[in-house]
Amino acid sequence: MPSPDLELLRGTLDLLILRTLSWGPLHGLGVTRWIERATHQRLQIEEGALYPALHRLEEKIWLEAEWGYTDTGRRAKYYRLTPAGRRQLAAEVSKWDRYSEAVRLVLTTEGTP
Amino acid sequence: MSERWSGFGRAFRLSLGRRGVERDVAEELRFHLEERIEELVATGMSREAAEREARARFGDLPAIGSEVARIDRRIVRRRGAAEWWDGVRRDCRYAFRALRRAPAFTTVAVLTLGLGIGANTAIFSVVDGVLLRPAPFLHMDRLVMVWETDRKSGTSREPASIPDYLDLQRLNRRFEQLTGFSPAEVNLTPDHGEPSRVAALAVSQGLLPMLGIRPLLGRNFTLEEDRPGAARVVLISEELWTRAFSRDRRALGQSLRINDVPHVIVGILPASADFGTLQILGAAAYGRAFADRGGRTRVDLWLPTRPNPTPESRGTHPLFIMGRIRPDATVQVAQEEMDALAAELERAYPESNDGRGTSVEALSRIVFGPVKPALLVLLGAVGLVLLVACANVANLLLARATSRMREVTVRAALGASARRLATQFFAESAILTSAGAALGVGLAVLGLRVLVSLAPSDIPRVGAVDIDARVLVATVALTVGVGLIFGILPLWQLRGNNLQSLLAGEGSRGTSVGRRHRRLRSALVISEVALAVMLMAGAGLLIRSFWQLEQVYPGFRTVGVLKAEFELPRSRYPQDYATFPRWPEAQRFADELRRRLAALPGVQSVSIAGSHPLDAGFTSSINVVGREAEAVDWAEPSIRRVDAGYFRTIGGSLMAGRFFDASDAVETAPVVIVNEAARRQFFEGRSPLGQRIRLWGAERVVIGVVGNERIHGLVADTPPAVYLPISQAPVTGGSVLVRGTGDPRGLIPALHRTVRDLDPALPLFGVEPLAETLSNSLGQRRFTMAVLGLFAAVSLLLASVGVHGVLSYTVAQRTREIGIRMALGADQGKVRALVVGQGAALTMSGLALGLAGAFAVTRLLSSLLYGVGPTDPVAFGGVVLVLSGVALLASYFPARRATRINPVEALRDE
Repeated sequence: MPSPDLELLRGTLDLLILRTLSWGPLHGLGVTRWIERATHQRLQIEEGALYPALHRLEEKIWLEAEWGYTDTGRRAKYYRLTPAGRRQLAAEVSKWDRYSEAVRLVLTTEGTP
Repeated sequence: MSERWSGFGRAFRLSLGRRGVERDVAEELRFHLEERIEELVATGMSREAAEREARARFGDLPAIGSEVARIDRRIVRRRGAAEWWDGVRRDCRYAFRALRRAPAFTTVAVLTLGLGIGANTAIFSVVDGVLLRPAPFLHMDRLVMVWETDRKSGTSREPASIPDYLDLQRLNRRFEQLTGFSPAEVNLTPDHGEPSRVAALAVSQGLLPMLGIRPLLGRNFTLEEDRPGAARVVLISEELWTRAFSRDRRALGQSLRINDVPHVIVGILPASADFGTLQILGAAAYGRAFADRGGRTRVDLWLPTRPNPTPESRGTHPLFIMGRIRPDATVQVAQEEMDALAAELERAYPESNDGRGTSVEALSRIVFGPVKPALLVLLGAVGLVLLVACANVANLLLARATSRMREVTVRAALGASARRLATQFFAESAILTSAGAALGVGLAVLGLRVLVSLAPSDIPRVGAVDIDARVLVATVALTVGVGLIFGILPLWQLRGNNLQSLLAGEGSRGTSVGRRHRRLRSALVISEVALAVMLMAGAGLLIRSFWQLEQVYPGFRTVGVLKAEFELPRSRYPQDYATFPRWPEAQRFADELRRRLAALPGVQSVSIAGSHPLDAGFTSSINVVGREAEAVDWAEPSIRRVDAGYFRTIGGSLMAGRFFDASDAVETAPVVIVNEAARRQFFEGRSPLGQRIRLWGAERVVIGVVGNERIHGLVADTPPAVYLPISQAPVTGGSVLVRGTGDPRGLIPALHRTVRDLDPALPLFGVEPLAETLSNSLGQRRFTMAVLGLFAAVSLLLASVGVHGVLSYTVAQRTREIGIRMALGADQGKVRALVVGQGAALTMSGLALGLAGAFAVTRLLSSLLYGVGPTDPVAFGGVVLVLSGVALLASYFPARRATRINPVEALRDE
């Protein structure tokens, strides 16, 4: 039974994945590493949670998956953003902006209730 | 640590089964874990610690694995469905394109399918609706007509007298019920509008309940209303209710003037209440032939019989008896009982019942019997046409299959899976057969409507016929099945064949598959031709019969003659038998009408008669003065009342003596004219002039002999007839015959005007050119002939298309050979002969087979033939000629194409 935190996280996770892949195709581990690097290790995701998210995004045809080879010659599954995924990314980003703006407003507005 | 991928293409997810999905998921997650472990090991951890750490960071591996697998399986399913749909759409598109590229093939195939399905369904629907579907009457199998017979005149199927009916009803034990009915035609005078003539039926109170006919509205008569002197009530038909009352429920209780007498409407009967009245009356001894029913083929009014049994009335026979036998009795047993009762009546009342017996006959035989042979023949014909259509479609598809063998072989060699090819050919066949089926359904609906409108109305229940769904489905299934089977044929042929050898064998020419195809096609075409020949033979026989009938001289001339019928109501034209033949009102009407009509422009001759030449009229017994003993056994001759101008108007021929003239009046000596048949039958061929005939209480001198008029129609023999002048035997109902220059229809308005001037409340009916009356009498035969002829034409067309197809294909396949022959010096004539020769071989085989079949089968037609035998050489000879001609024509084009072959190109083009 996912806790409310996890719900929020799932939506945000989708956004992060879409954004990460907007720079180019990656496999699941690559996405994890990129997010770690970008957040300077501050954001730690439960790594396994990534995979259901990736596959769900693939089901929604926001991502495409293809098997490929790493430069060490290992077989891995690569994910790529589709045009529909790109559009979804833009929508999610704008939603996030509005959300965070709303939160910021609440946090910075003075006054007693 | 950048990752590139050199993908080798989209993973073909479709082939991923359940195991494949789980394998992929496992591999993906394993990659992640192993890479992480390597990373951690590289930072100095021990392998075990690294593994523990990696797994901890990952999470619940099994749960995550199964969730991901679940999602993937959903993806696979959806993609699979989408791909399947794409495949289907693509195949359909290709199929459409392929079919469009061969327009001739496609059109012919679709038309053939459509024709086969449409014709079959339409005709079978008619046969089913008329013959096979059970009548909507209670226990139809136990309903019988109880006719009376007259041994003296040799007639059967006579109506009975009212006292006889009542006695039979009282005394019988084998019948559940006996009821009676009596046909009549009456004048209907509405409050607003023109008076009209309608068919009516007087029925005893129990008849409608016996048949299970319930009124739509209102009620049946009561027993009290079925007595003489009771209040006058009537039941009207649904059709009349719609026509005259616009289906207003308040029609109940309103009053209708019938023959100038008001009747109260107590009920409305549904359209299905017609139990074959027309057919029964047509079968009856003195029934009016269909020809003179005009538009009154449907009963509009039902009246109670109000039987009044007086002792005298045992001598007149107005009532037809219908009954239902008890469940435990048979027709045979009922017949025996009726015979016994009739014998008793004969003994009890020798004057009136001498020689009168009974005959019990199943109702279904009377109503459907006459039409059964024709309909069954048509059904057989339609089956044949369907076979021809199927054979043609099979042939077409086979030809196409053969010509595409090369294409199929190449594609298979290139790796196209059998399934892909199968689906594409299937799509083609499916589109073709669907189009054919759609066309067939449309043609069936249209065809049925046309058939019903053209069908002569003496085919019972024809108005209620509609498309039989079972037949439609069965026919569609059959033809579609044939189409699909032969459409998939190319692939099926491919199985088990060495692709290499097929490719090498230049397509299909020399291969065993190609040979098999060729033989099959030839066989199909030969059978098509044979079937077409059989149909043509049948049609030819019917056409000959019809032609023979049209040659029969009816005994009167119809050119320029207009007929109109009338019935003078008793109220204004009293018919007092005490003063007969002095009926001044009726006489005055006839004289005045004749005078006024003769004065019209364009009128050459006018006549008023008790019955027009195709009206069977009534009979009466006569005897000859001095030969009374002989005359006891004579049949009753038809009694015709005609005026002086009758024979002139209709072109009768005088064989001896003279026609009636002005000297034959009510005061002068009564005279008669007899026809040739009467002379032969009553006077042994000797001259009857001067002999005296006793009829209707007077002795009448024979003053002339006329040629036979075909009173009973063109087919039946002319009965003996005795003509009386209307000055001595006035008519209160009969026909006006007007001969003019030009089209008789042009006289119609003037005729109506004249009659209306003379008597505004008198309706005219049956107004039509006499030629049309004559033509209508052949209505059923013409219909059968036309339909069978149409079938024969269609099947001939299909068969010739088949022949043409085979020959074209042969020319295409033998292009090389023909080119060689031409290069070696064969001239065009030889090449043509080659092709035509093959066409002739096919046609002759089919012809022989078909003629053999026709000889065997046309026997079934004999009841429909007139003047020709079932193996009439003229008809069969005609078939041979027509078929040969058409086959020659079908061979012409391929032959011409063969001669156009350029030998150089033919040799090169391989």
